[in-house]
Amino acid sequence: MEYIIQTNGLTKKIKEEELVSNINIHIKKGEIYGFLGQNGAGKTTVLKMLTGITSPSKGEILLFNEKLTEKNKSILTRVGSIIEYPVFFEHLTAFDNLKLHCEYLGFYDEQDINQALLLVNLKGIEGKIVKDFSLGMKQRLGIARAIITKPELIILDEPTNGLDPIGIKDMRNLIRMLNKEYGMTFVLSSHILGELEQIVDRVGVIHHGKLLNEMTLNDIRKERSDYIELVVTDVKHAVYLLEKDLHISNMKIIQDRKIRIYDMAHTQSEISRTLILHDIGIEEIQKHSNSLEDYFYQQINGGDLDD
Amino acid sequence: MIKLMRLEWKKLKQKSVIGEMICYPLILMFLPVFFIEAVSADFGQSYAAVIELNLFIQMGSILFGASLINQVFIDEYKNKTISLSFSYPFSRQKLFAAKIIFIALLVFLLTMASYLLTGVTTYVIDQIHPIINGDLTRSDIITFFSQMIFRSLIITVNSFIPLFYLGIWKRATVPTVICGVVAMNSHLSQMINLNFNLVLVVLCVVGSLSVFLSIITAENIGEM
Repeated sequence: MEYIIQTNGLTKKIKEEELVSNINIHIKKGEIYGFLGQNGAGKTTVLKMLTGITSPSKGEILLFNEKLTEKNKSILTRVGSIIEYPVFFEHLTAFDNLKLHCEYLGFYDEQDINQALLLVNLKGIEGKIVKDFSLGMKQRLGIARAIITKPELIILDEPTNGLDPIGIKDMRNLIRMLNKEYGMTFVLSSHILGELEQIVDRVGVIHHGKLLNEMTLNDIRKERSDYIELVVTDVKHAVYLLEKDLHISNMKIIQDRKIRIYDMAHTQSEISRTLILHDIGIEEIQKHSNSLEDYFYQQINGGDLDD
Repeated sequence: MIKLMRLEWKKLKQKSVIGEMICYPLILMFLPVFFIEAVSADFGQSYAAVIELNLFIQMGSILFGASLINQVFIDEYKNKTISLSFSYPFSRQKLFAAKIIFIALLVFLLTMASYLLTGVTTYVIDQIHPIINGDLTRSDIITFFSQMIFRSLIITVNSFIPLFYLGIWKRATVPTVICGVVAMNSHLSQMINLNFNLVLVVLCVVGSLSVFLSIITAENIGEM
C-alpha cells in the first residue's frame, strides 16, 4: 500500500497543554481524504504540522515515505495547501502573489499561473490588488496557489469557506477533476459534512485532539444501514406486533417510546397500518438514511446530535 | 540565500521602503550644517569635529532598521503571511537568516550612502558659505572613509537590538520603534559621563546577541 501521508504518534503541546495527541493518519495515494472534527478538535493543528507550518512536539510525519523535519522540508515542494484561510500579500496583485509562490518553490511558468487562474474562474482580474478581493475570491485565489505547481498532494483546510453555492459546486468539480485527471491526492477538512460526503473516499474523525477512526465512505454505508424510526404510545405491544405480524427482528428500542427498525423489508405505510389496526398510536414515523453526519455524531458522542 | 533575500524585497511595500531610503539621507545630509549654524558653532571648529558629528548623525539609520524589522518580521506575523513562508521548503533558520541579512544589507548600504552624501553636502556648503574652521586635510579624508565603513557596520549591528525580544518574540511594532529611537540616541549617554565607545561596544554585543538568538531559536520562538 502506497501511503502519501503517514503519521506516527503525532503530538503537539503548547505550554504543557496537548492540542493533539498520538495521531496516526494513513492517507493513500490518489484518494480524497476528509478530516472531520468540531471546532477546536485539532484539525488545523494537524494540518499545520503536515504542511511544515508548525513542528510536532512528539511523533513523526512521513510524506511520500520521507520524514518531514525542520531540516528536511524539501518534500514540501510536492505539497500545495491552504491552512485556516488563504493569506496573501495584500498590496500585491493576484498575479504577483502567485508568481512569488512559484519562485519560492523554484517553479515559474507564466502559462501555469494563467491556467490556474482560469481553473478557479479568476481569469481577467490577475492584475487586481488582493486587498480589493472578496473572501470568496481570496478563497479561489488560494486554491489557484495551491494547485499552480501541480503538486501530488493538496491539503485544504475548510476550502469552501466564503464561497457561494456555485463556488462550492465549482470547487467540488475542480477537486474531482484534479484527482481524476492528475491523480492528485487531497486532504480536506470541513465542518460541512454533507459537502464532504459528496466528494471524499475516506474520512478520519478527530475529537478532543485524538483521531477516533479512519474509514472509507463505503464501509460507513455498509456498516450502518438505513432505518425507520418511530415513536409510539405502547412500545411493548408495538414490538410484539412488528415481530409477530411483520416478522421484523432487526430493531432496537432506543428510548421509552422510540423504536428503530433496521429491517427495511417493510415500508413505513405497512408498519403504520399494522400498528394503527391494533390501536397503537403513532406520534412520529420517519425513514432515516445514514449519512456521514450520523457517522460523525456517532463517533464523537455515540449518536447524540445534541451534544 | 540570495534568492530568498530577493524574494524578501519582492514581498515588501517597495515604494514605501524606497521613500524611506530617500527621506533618511535627505534629512540627515543637512544636519551637520544645521547643528553648526543653529545649535553650536563649536561643532564646526574643525573638519575632524564635523566628521565626529556626522558619525552621531548617521545613527539615525538605526530607525530605518527598526522600520525594516517591522515590515520584514512583525507585519508578516500580524498578517499571518509568515505561515506561508513556513510552508515552503526552507527551514525557519534559513528564512530568518535571509531576512536578517536582507535588513543588514539595506541598513548598511543606506548608512554608507547617507554618510557619504552628508559629508559631501557639508563640504560643498562649506565651500560656498564657510562654516567650518580650517582646511580639509588628507588625514581627515582617510578618517572619513575608514569611519564610513566601520561606523556603518556598527550602526547595522545596533539596528538589530530590538529584533529578538520585541520583533520576533513580542511582535510589538511601537516598542520596536521606541527601542530604535533609544539606540539611535545612545550618544546622549555622554551627558551622564558614560564612555560612548564603551556604550557602543555594549550595544553591538546586544545587537549581535539579538541576531544570534533570533536564528537559533527560530524553530521555537519563531513559531506561529
